[in-house]
Amino acid sequence: MKLNINGKDIDVEVEPGMPLLWVLRDELNMTGTKFGCGVSSCGACTVMIDGVATRTCTLPVGNAQNKKITTIEGIGSPSNLSAVQQAWVEHQVPQCGYCQSGMIMAAEALLDEIPNPTDDDIDAKMTNICRCGTYTRVRAAIHTAAKLRSQATDLLGSL
Amino acid sequence: MSKEKSKKKIFTRRNFMITGGVLTTGLVVGVAGLNAHVNKKIRKYSGKGMGEGSSINAWIRIAPDNKVTVAVGRAEMGQGVYTSIPMLIAEELEVPLENIEVIQPQPESPYANTFMMTQKEPNIFKAYELAEKVMAYLPMVMTGGSTSIPDGFNNMRYAGATAREMLKQAAADEWGIERSKVSTENGYVINNDTKAKLSYGDLSAAAREIDLAELPELKNKSDWKLIGTKAKRLDIPEKVDGTAEFGIDIRKEGMLYAAMIHPSVIGGKITGIKNKEEVEGMEGVKRVLLTDYGVAVVANNTWRAKNGALMLEVEEDNSNNQEISSATIQTSLEEILDQEPLATPDTEGDVDAILSDNNQVIESTYKVPYLAHAAMEPLNCTVLVNDDSAEVWVGHQSSSITQTAVSEVAGVSKKNVTVHTTYLGGGFGRRAESDFVLKATAVAKMMKGIPVQTTFTREEDMKNDMYRPAALSRFKGVVNPNGEIHAWDNMIAIQSVSNSAITRIDPSFAPKPKDDIATVEGAAHLPYIMKNKRVAFGDYKSPIQVGFWRSVGSSQNAFFTESFMDECAHAAGQDPYQFRLAKLGKTPRFKAVLEKVAELGNWGAQDGKYRGIALHKSFGSIVGEVCTITKKGDKEFSIDDFACAIDCGTYVNPDTIEAQMEGGIVFGLSAALYGQITWQNGSVVQSNFPDYDMVRMNVSPSIKVHIMENDHYPGGVGEPGTPPAAPALANALFAATGQRIRELPIMNAGYKFS
Ligand code: FES
Ligand code: FES
Repeated sequence: MKLNINGKDIDVEVEPGMPLLWVLRDELNMTGTKFGCGVSSCGACTVMIDGVATRTCTLPVGNAQNKKITTIEGIGSPSNLSAVQQAWVEHQVPQCGYCQSGMIMAAEALLDEIPNPTDDDIDAKMTNICRCGTYTRVRAAIHTAAKLRSQATDLLGSL
Repeated sequence: MSKEKSKKKIFTRRNFMITGGVLTTGLVVGVAGLNAHVNKKIRKYSGKGMGEGSSINAWIRIAPDNKVTVAVGRAEMGQGVYTSIPMLIAEELEVPLENIEVIQPQPESPYANTFMMTQKEPNIFKAYELAEKVMAYLPMVMTGGSTSIPDGFNNMRYAGATAREMLKQAAADEWGIERSKVSTENGYVINNDTKAKLSYGDLSAAAREIDLAELPELKNKSDWKLIGTKAKRLDIPEKVDGTAEFGIDIRKEGMLYAAMIHPSVIGGKITGIKNKEEVEGMEGVKRVLLTDYGVAVVANNTWRAKNGALMLEVEEDNSNNQEISSATIQTSLEEILDQEPLATPDTEGDVDAILSDNNQVIESTYKVPYLAHAAMEPLNCTVLVNDDSAEVWVGHQSSSITQTAVSEVAGVSKKNVTVHTTYLGGGFGRRAESDFVLKATAVAKMMKGIPVQTTFTREEDMKNDMYRPAALSRFKGVVNPNGEIHAWDNMIAIQSVSNSAITRIDPSFAPKPKDDIATVEGAAHLPYIMKNKRVAFGDYKSPIQVGFWRSVGSSQNAFFTESFMDECAHAAGQDPYQFRLAKLGKTPRFKAVLEKVAELGNWGAQDGKYRGIALHKSFGSIVGEVCTITKKGDKEFSIDDFACAIDCGTYVNPDTIEAQMEGGIVFGLSAALYGQITWQNGSVVQSNFPDYDMVRMNVSPSIKVHIMENDHYPGGVGEPGTPPAAPALANALFAATGQRIRELPIMNAGYKFS
């Protein structure tokens, strides 16, 4: 079966019913995406599929064929962090860090959809669990990331 | 000539071995032959736990390129210890924090948590002697009880200062001048006269041979450059790009994955597997194993292992404990309330006389349920068992408990068990338990030579926790017309956490229930002036395993005491803040915190909102919280804001402390609103987040934190933010509704929050 992950075509041989989460983690050793509940409740396993934040612990991999899958490994590198990642560092968001891949992917998708989200937008879209309770910082970081993104767009426009 | 200048070589690792020293894990221990100077306690651990003996002491290694490696024997579970301990060392060592790389040492005595053993400010001279003695019996390289900074505050600064002075002496020797003529800056020793510089990396090899005559002086607080600043955490870059490695992320060549099911009734036993062949024939499944703890399915992928486990049909012996239910537990706890107390740890005056004389007794009984830890990363552990050695990769709060557990089950001596401590996806006390290591080792032992990662599903994790115990707390109070608390009588019924949890580590160290201070922590010795008081408890004996849950006894006792304080205030017709304040005349630190948090939380504001206040000391730190709520509809509220003031004495990283207060409050609110583990037929009813929910973004309040300034010895910060959250909210709800919340979780009373 062919998957497109972070811009690369990848062949995997697994039963189509296996959730994408376990294909990523155990078959491809891409462990940035986390297992938290297995029942689409916590959001730790969130990736973007064709730009939409999607919980992968209940998504059969077969349903992700012919779609663009973006994981935490695909949004930035240490030397080239995404605006969301930069804002996460600025606000020192993570505590244990375990939920943060999913939080960051949900925030990326939110900002793609709503470039300048209100607190209500954030409440509605950010439904992931953080057991360490980093919510106030997640919220602040999303507002900062929105600014960073719009500054980057302005800069591009002025070129 | 100064004493320091008379350089004297100590035994190097090599010549010590030749002279016949005792060897453990290939590195030198033992006092014989070492000189008697004061810094030997640090010096003698050179090279230990740091790999080949190239380190300056047990905590610090400096490479030729000036990279500093710091061994932190504490687990990073979100509290920021991989930054705060390096800050303490870097401050004295005079190196940039960013140059430090953190490694986890093996569980050896220099890394023992001596504060946890003694609950006293560690004395550098005694701490390591004690650690060596105790470590032989009780594994104490441990992270918990909010003790990492109280334990490390002096010791880690001394570790840094000692290394700095050794580096200075090495440079002074090189230049042929006295140590007093050199200084340090950013990883270099500078010759004060010539301004010549030598890097720590170049001096490190010579420095480790230096013997100091005396323990160096620590810097004055006014000279600190790093301690007390909001230094950026060293672990955050890896936690925003997905590369941080948790136990569940361990991947080894040829490894297999296991899932487990447990007996369906606590204390039960799975005695046989009915469909072993069927499950072993499933896609990817390699083996189905009956262990002492349950049945494991080993497969080539976590999901396939889990599917196999779900298919298992087993025979069980569940003859005991099937009658346990939340109703029977409640009956037992109620009976205990009416019996003679097991112990009365705090008593003053004559409570009985006042209660019997007075017809204005306020009486209330409070109730809390069992709670699961539900750390975000489901429990897991990866083990490789060989014939006479073993290796374990796990996010655990104690590398020494891990080592002991693997050693016992694998049948391999402790010194041949290598422990790799990864990041922890949350600990909260759950990852101080050995059960998941024991189970994973049992599986790996039956799969010799193959690394096996055993991952517990959320459901197995939640149903087989070591829970925060349920408890009842009954108060009888008499308040004088002038607002004085004339009598305060408190009786608590609860299972002893310390007895249950420490029995699992080593029964010979477990306190008897009557001596378990965790039972009444935060309920006894309140800061308020009370004329007559009695705080007592009775012990609920149960086969249910209970354990340390973030803030332990304070997690329920703060809710009990601070709610009843509110009841007393209302009975006296007084403002709950003023009522408390008037009783803090003998405890100025509490008073200052309460005043600060009232100001921060706009106590008394006429803005149509409702407020509740709570004050509590735990783990050496005093925390006050004001919760502000808005009424949205009938029994519908938003939790707008928490104000929090903490007095944790001298503080190391204020940003980390703010984060711990934020997280601690949310943790307390999740329990207050939704948290309950209930029992039916000897099993836990809840299984996953849909029926054991957490506060999420939409309910989470905004939080502002103030840290009090003073010079007291540091208290802990990982837990103290949690206890006041529930009573602050419950008191705000009373202000809004006139209904007293006497039972958690609050959702059971029909309240909704958004
Ligand atoms: S693991 Fe997928 S939502 Fe929790
Ligand atoms: S940072 Fe630990 S669960 Fe979110």
